Amino acid sequence: MNAHHKTDTDIQLELQQIEAAKLNPARFDVLYEKYYKPIFVFVYRRTENEDLCADITSMVFLKALVNIKKYQFKGVPFSAWLFRIAFNEINMYFRKNKAERIVRLDRTNLHQIVQEVELESNSEAEQKMMLALKKLDNDDIQLIEFRFFEKRSFAEIGGIIGITENNAKVKVYRILDKLRTLMNSKNSG
Amino acid sequence: MADLKFNIDKPDLPDEQINKHKDFKKLMYNYQTATNPLYKTPLYKNRKVYLVILIILLVMYVIIEVFEKDEQQQKKPSPQEQTK
Repeated sequence: MNAHHKTDTDIQLELQQIEAAKLNPARFDVLYEKYYKPIFVFVYRRTENEDLCADITSMVFLKALVNIKKYQFKGVPFSAWLFRIAFNEINMYFRKNKAERIVRLDRTNLHQIVQEVELESNSEAEQKMMLALKKLDNDDIQLIEFRFFEKRSFAEIGGIIGITENNAKVKVYRILDKLRTLMNSKNSG
Repeated sequence: MADLKFNIDKPDLPDEQINKHKDFKKLMYNYQTATNPLYKTPLYKNRKVYLVILIILLVMYVIIEVFEKDEQQQKKPSPQEQTK
Protein backbone atom coordinates (compact mmCIF):
# COMPACT_ATOMS: atom_id res chain seq x y z
CA MET A 1 0.00 0.00 0.00
CA ASN A 2 1.33 3.45 -0.80
CA ALA A 3 0.39 6.98 0.20
CA HIS A 4 -2.30 7.14 -2.48
CA HIS A 5 -4.22 4.09 -1.24
CA LYS A 6 -6.84 4.47 1.48
CA THR A 7 -8.54 2.04 3.83
CA ASP A 8 -12.35 1.93 4.17
CA THR A 9 -12.07 3.55 7.62
CA ASP A 10 -10.07 6.44 6.14
CA ILE A 11 -12.67 6.89 3.40
CA GLN A 12 -15.56 6.81 5.89
CA LEU A 13 -13.88 9.35 8.16
CA GLU A 14 -13.19 11.55 5.18
CA LEU A 15 -16.81 11.31 4.04
CA GLN A 16 -17.88 12.63 7.45
CA GLN A 17 -15.45 15.53 7.08
CA ILE A 18 -16.84 16.27 3.62
CA GLU A 19 -20.43 16.21 4.88
CA ALA A 20 -19.43 18.60 7.68
CA ALA A 21 -17.80 20.94 5.13
CA LYS A 22 -20.95 20.83 2.97
CA LEU A 23 -22.96 22.16 5.92
CA ASN A 24 -20.33 24.60 7.15
CA PRO A 25 -17.54 25.74 4.77
CA ALA A 26 -15.32 26.62 7.76
CA ARG A 27 -15.10 22.88 8.48
CA PHE A 28 -13.24 22.47 5.20
CA ASP A 29 -10.07 23.36 7.15
CA VAL A 30 -9.42 19.69 8.02
CA LEU A 31 -9.43 18.69 4.36
CA TYR A 32 -7.41 21.77 3.43
CA GLU A 33 -4.73 20.88 6.00
CA LYS A 34 -4.68 17.28 4.85
CA TYR A 35 -4.40 17.86 1.13
CA TYR A 36 -2.60 21.18 0.78
CA LYS A 37 0.85 19.63 0.49
CA PRO A 38 -0.08 16.75 -1.88
CA ILE A 39 -1.87 19.15 -4.22
CA PHE A 40 0.95 21.70 -4.04
CA VAL A 41 3.54 19.02 -4.84
CA PHE A 42 1.35 17.68 -7.67
CA VAL A 43 1.15 21.15 -9.24
CA TYR A 44 4.79 22.04 -8.53
CA ARG A 45 6.08 18.93 -10.29
CA ARG A 46 4.32 20.11 -13.43
CA THR A 47 5.13 23.80 -13.25
CA GLU A 48 8.35 24.20 -11.21
CA ASN A 49 7.34 27.77 -10.49
CA GLU A 50 6.58 28.39 -6.83
CA ASP A 51 4.33 31.45 -7.22
CA LEU A 52 2.41 30.00 -10.13
CA CYS A 53 2.05 26.76 -8.20
CA ALA A 54 0.70 28.63 -5.13
CA ASP A 55 -1.85 30.43 -7.35
CA ILE A 56 -3.02 27.25 -9.04
CA THR A 57 -3.22 25.44 -5.68
CA SER A 58 -5.35 28.27 -4.22
CA MET A 59 -7.65 28.06 -7.21
CA VAL A 60 -7.95 24.29 -6.80
CA PHE A 61 -9.08 24.61 -3.17
CA LEU A 62 -11.40 27.50 -3.96
CA LYS A 63 -13.09 25.50 -6.73
CA ALA A 64 -13.27 22.47 -4.45
CA LEU A 65 -14.91 24.49 -1.67
CA VAL A 66 -17.35 26.24 -4.01
CA ASN A 67 -18.36 22.89 -5.55
CA ILE A 68 -18.14 20.64 -2.50
CA LYS A 69 -21.94 20.27 -2.35
CA LYS A 70 -21.79 18.58 -5.75
CA TYR A 71 -19.23 16.02 -4.57
CA GLN A 72 -20.64 12.53 -4.25
CA PHE A 73 -18.68 9.48 -3.29
CA LYS A 74 -18.69 7.03 -6.20
CA GLY A 75 -15.90 4.72 -5.12
CA VAL A 76 -13.18 7.23 -5.89
CA PRO A 77 -11.65 8.98 -2.86
CA PHE A 78 -11.98 12.71 -2.30
CA SER A 79 -8.25 13.12 -3.03
CA ALA A 80 -8.84 11.93 -6.63
CA TRP A 81 -11.56 14.57 -6.98
CA LEU A 82 -9.11 17.24 -5.79
CA PHE A 83 -6.36 15.95 -8.08
CA ARG A 84 -8.85 16.03 -10.94
CA ILE A 85 -9.54 19.71 -10.29
CA ALA A 86 -5.77 20.33 -10.08
CA PHE A 87 -5.19 18.35 -13.29
CA ASN A 88 -7.81 20.43 -15.13
CA GLU A 89 -6.43 23.70 -13.73
CA ILE A 90 -2.89 22.83 -14.83
CA ASN A 91 -4.04 21.82 -18.31
CA MET A 92 -6.14 24.97 -18.58
CA TYR A 93 -3.14 27.12 -17.58
CA PHE A 94 -0.83 25.54 -20.15
CA ARG A 95 -3.46 25.68 -22.89
CA LYS A 96 -4.17 29.33 -22.18
CA ASN A 97 -0.57 30.48 -21.81
CA LYS A 98 1.08 28.12 -24.29
CA ALA A 99 3.87 27.63 -21.75
CA GLU A 100 6.23 24.68 -21.51
CA ARG A 101 4.96 21.99 -19.15
CA ILE A 102 7.45 20.23 -16.91
CA VAL A 103 7.67 16.47 -16.77
CA ARG A 104 9.50 15.41 -13.63
CA LEU A 105 11.28 12.07 -13.91
CA ASP A 106 13.55 10.20 -11.57
CA ARG A 107 16.05 7.55 -12.45
CA THR A 108 14.63 4.88 -10.12
CA ASN A 109 11.24 5.04 -11.78
CA LEU A 110 12.73 5.36 -15.25
CA HIS A 111 14.54 2.10 -14.53
CA GLN A 112 11.17 0.58 -13.56
CA ILE A 113 9.49 1.57 -16.84
CA VAL A 114 12.40 0.10 -18.78
CA GLN A 115 11.85 -3.17 -16.90
CA GLU A 116 8.10 -2.91 -17.50
CA VAL A 117 8.63 -2.91 -21.26
CA GLU A 118 10.65 -6.10 -20.72
CA LEU A 119 14.04 -4.78 -21.57
CA GLU A 120 17.26 -5.16 -19.72
CA SER A 121 17.73 -2.00 -17.75
CA ASN A 122 21.05 -0.34 -18.41
CA SER A 123 22.14 3.20 -19.11
CA GLU A 124 21.71 2.75 -22.87
CA ALA A 125 18.15 1.43 -22.44
CA GLU A 126 17.37 4.32 -20.08
CA GLN A 127 18.65 6.79 -22.65
CA LYS A 128 16.45 5.18 -25.29
CA MET A 129 13.50 5.29 -22.89
CA MET A 130 14.08 9.02 -22.30
CA LEU A 131 14.02 9.64 -26.04
CA ALA A 132 10.91 7.48 -26.43
CA LEU A 133 9.14 9.35 -23.60
CA LYS A 134 9.90 12.64 -25.34
CA LYS A 135 8.04 11.38 -28.38
CA LEU A 136 4.82 10.72 -26.47
CA ASP A 137 2.02 13.25 -26.57
CA ASN A 138 0.83 15.15 -23.51
CA ASP A 139 -2.08 12.79 -22.69
CA ASP A 140 0.15 9.72 -22.80
CA ILE A 141 2.93 11.27 -20.76
CA GLN A 142 0.41 12.29 -18.10
CA LEU A 143 -0.68 8.69 -17.68
CA ILE A 144 2.94 7.55 -17.41
CA GLU A 145 3.58 10.24 -14.79
CA PHE A 146 0.57 9.13 -12.73
CA ARG A 147 1.38 5.46 -12.89
CA PHE A 148 5.16 5.27 -12.75
CA PHE A 149 6.43 8.52 -11.29
CA GLU A 150 3.65 9.14 -8.76
CA LYS A 151 2.76 5.48 -8.14
CA ARG A 152 -1.00 5.95 -8.38
CA SER A 153 -3.45 3.08 -8.61
CA PHE A 154 -5.44 2.58 -11.82
CA ALA A 155 -8.62 3.43 -9.90
CA GLU A 156 -7.14 6.76 -8.84
CA ILE A 157 -5.82 7.52 -12.32
CA GLY A 158 -9.31 6.81 -13.67
CA GLY A 159 -10.80 9.10 -11.04
CA ILE A 160 -8.42 11.92 -11.93
CA ILE A 161 -8.82 11.85 -15.68
CA GLY A 162 -12.46 10.79 -15.66
CA ILE A 163 -12.27 7.27 -17.09
CA THR A 164 -12.89 3.82 -15.60
CA GLU A 165 -10.22 1.85 -13.79
CA ASN A 166 -10.14 -0.72 -16.60
CA ASN A 167 -9.88 1.94 -19.23
CA ALA A 168 -6.94 3.49 -17.36
CA LYS A 169 -5.24 0.10 -17.23
CA VAL A 170 -5.76 -0.51 -20.95
CA LYS A 171 -4.47 2.95 -21.84
CA VAL A 172 -1.32 2.56 -19.72
CA TYR A 173 -0.51 -0.81 -21.29
CA ARG A 174 -1.07 0.61 -24.76
CA ILE A 175 1.37 3.41 -23.98
CA LEU A 176 3.90 0.85 -22.74
CA ASP A 177 3.50 -0.95 -26.07
CA LYS A 178 4.01 2.34 -27.86
CA LEU A 179 7.16 2.96 -25.81
CA ARG A 180 8.44 -0.51 -26.63
CA THR A 181 7.94 0.17 -30.35
CA LEU A 182 9.57 3.59 -30.11
CA MET A 183 12.55 2.16 -28.27
CA ASN A 184 13.03 -0.57 -30.84
CA SER A 185 12.59 1.68 -33.84
CA LYS A 186 15.73 2.64 -35.76
CA ASN A 187 15.27 6.32 -35.03
CA SER A 188 15.06 5.86 -31.27
CA GLY A 189 18.75 6.42 -30.66
CA MET B 1 3.15 17.24 -29.96
CA ALA B 2 2.88 18.84 -26.53
CA ASP B 3 5.37 21.44 -25.37
CA LEU B 4 7.12 19.44 -22.66
CA LYS B 5 10.34 19.90 -20.75
CA PHE B 6 11.87 16.87 -19.03
CA ASN B 7 13.67 17.29 -15.72
CA ILE B 8 15.43 14.41 -14.03
CA ASP B 9 15.89 13.89 -10.29
CA LYS B 10 14.91 17.40 -9.24
CA PRO B 11 14.00 17.64 -5.56
CA ASP B 12 10.60 18.80 -4.31
CA LEU B 13 10.29 22.01 -2.32
CA PRO B 14 10.89 21.70 1.43
CA ASP B 15 7.78 21.62 3.67
CA GLU B 16 8.47 25.08 5.17
CA GLN B 17 8.46 26.58 1.69
CA ILE B 18 5.16 24.88 0.86
CA ASN B 19 3.52 25.83 4.17
CA LYS B 20 4.44 29.47 3.57
CA HIS B 21 1.68 29.58 0.95
CA LYS B 22 -0.94 27.80 3.07
CA ASP B 23 -3.60 30.27 4.16
CA PHE B 24 -7.05 29.00 5.08
CA LYS B 25 -8.30 32.49 6.05
CA LYS B 26 -7.52 33.75 2.55
CA LEU B 27 -9.32 30.75 1.08
CA MET B 28 -12.40 31.54 3.20
CA TYR B 29 -12.25 35.20 2.15
CA ASN B 30 -12.03 34.19 -1.54
CA TYR B 31 -14.88 31.75 -0.98
CA GLN B 32 -17.09 34.47 0.54
CA THR B 33 -16.28 36.79 -2.35
CA ALA B 34 -16.93 34.07 -4.92
CA THR B 35 -20.22 32.91 -3.42
CA ASN B 36 -21.73 36.21 -2.20
CA PRO B 37 -23.20 38.16 -5.09
CA LEU B 38 -22.06 41.78 -5.32
CA TYR B 39 -25.52 43.18 -4.66
CA LYS B 40 -25.65 41.33 -1.33
CA THR B 41 -22.38 42.84 -0.11
CA PRO B 42 -22.81 46.12 1.77
CA LEU B 43 -21.12 48.98 -0.04
CA TYR B 44 -18.93 49.93 2.90
CA LYS B 45 -17.45 46.41 2.89
CA ASN B 46 -16.40 46.56 -0.74
CA ARG B 47 -13.80 49.29 -1.08
CA LYS B 48 -13.24 48.77 -4.82
CA VAL B 49 -16.90 49.21 -5.74
CA TYR B 50 -17.12 52.13 -3.33
CA LEU B 51 -14.17 53.85 -5.04
CA VAL B 52 -15.49 53.18 -8.55
CA ILE B 53 -18.88 54.68 -7.66
CA LEU B 54 -17.17 57.68 -6.07
CA ILE B 55 -15.07 58.26 -9.20
CA ILE B 56 -18.15 57.95 -11.46
CA LEU B 57 -20.03 60.49 -9.31
CA LEU B 58 -17.07 62.89 -9.40
CA VAL B 59 -16.75 62.64 -13.18
CA MET B 60 -20.51 63.20 -13.56
CA TYR B 61 -20.32 66.25 -11.27
CA VAL B 62 -17.44 67.75 -13.30
CA ILE B 63 -19.28 67.14 -16.61
CA ILE B 64 -22.49 68.75 -15.29
CA GLU B 65 -20.53 71.75 -13.97
CA VAL B 66 -18.83 72.25 -17.34
CA PHE B 67 -22.17 72.03 -19.19
CA GLU B 68 -23.81 74.48 -16.80
CA LYS B 69 -20.97 77.00 -17.26
CA ASP B 70 -21.26 76.66 -21.03
CA GLU B 71 -25.01 77.23 -20.89
CA GLN B 72 -24.62 80.28 -18.67
CA GLN B 73 -22.06 81.76 -21.02
CA GLN B 74 -24.37 81.19 -23.98
CA LYS B 75 -27.29 82.84 -22.19
CA LYS B 76 -25.27 85.93 -21.26
CA PRO B 77 -25.62 88.63 -23.96
CA SER B 78 -22.40 89.49 -25.71
CA PRO B 79 -20.87 92.98 -25.04
CA GLN B 80 -21.85 94.09 -28.60
CA GLU B 81 -25.49 93.11 -27.96
CA GLN B 82 -25.41 95.01 -24.66
CA THR B 83 -24.24 98.28 -26.32
CA LYS B 84 -27.08 98.09 -28.87
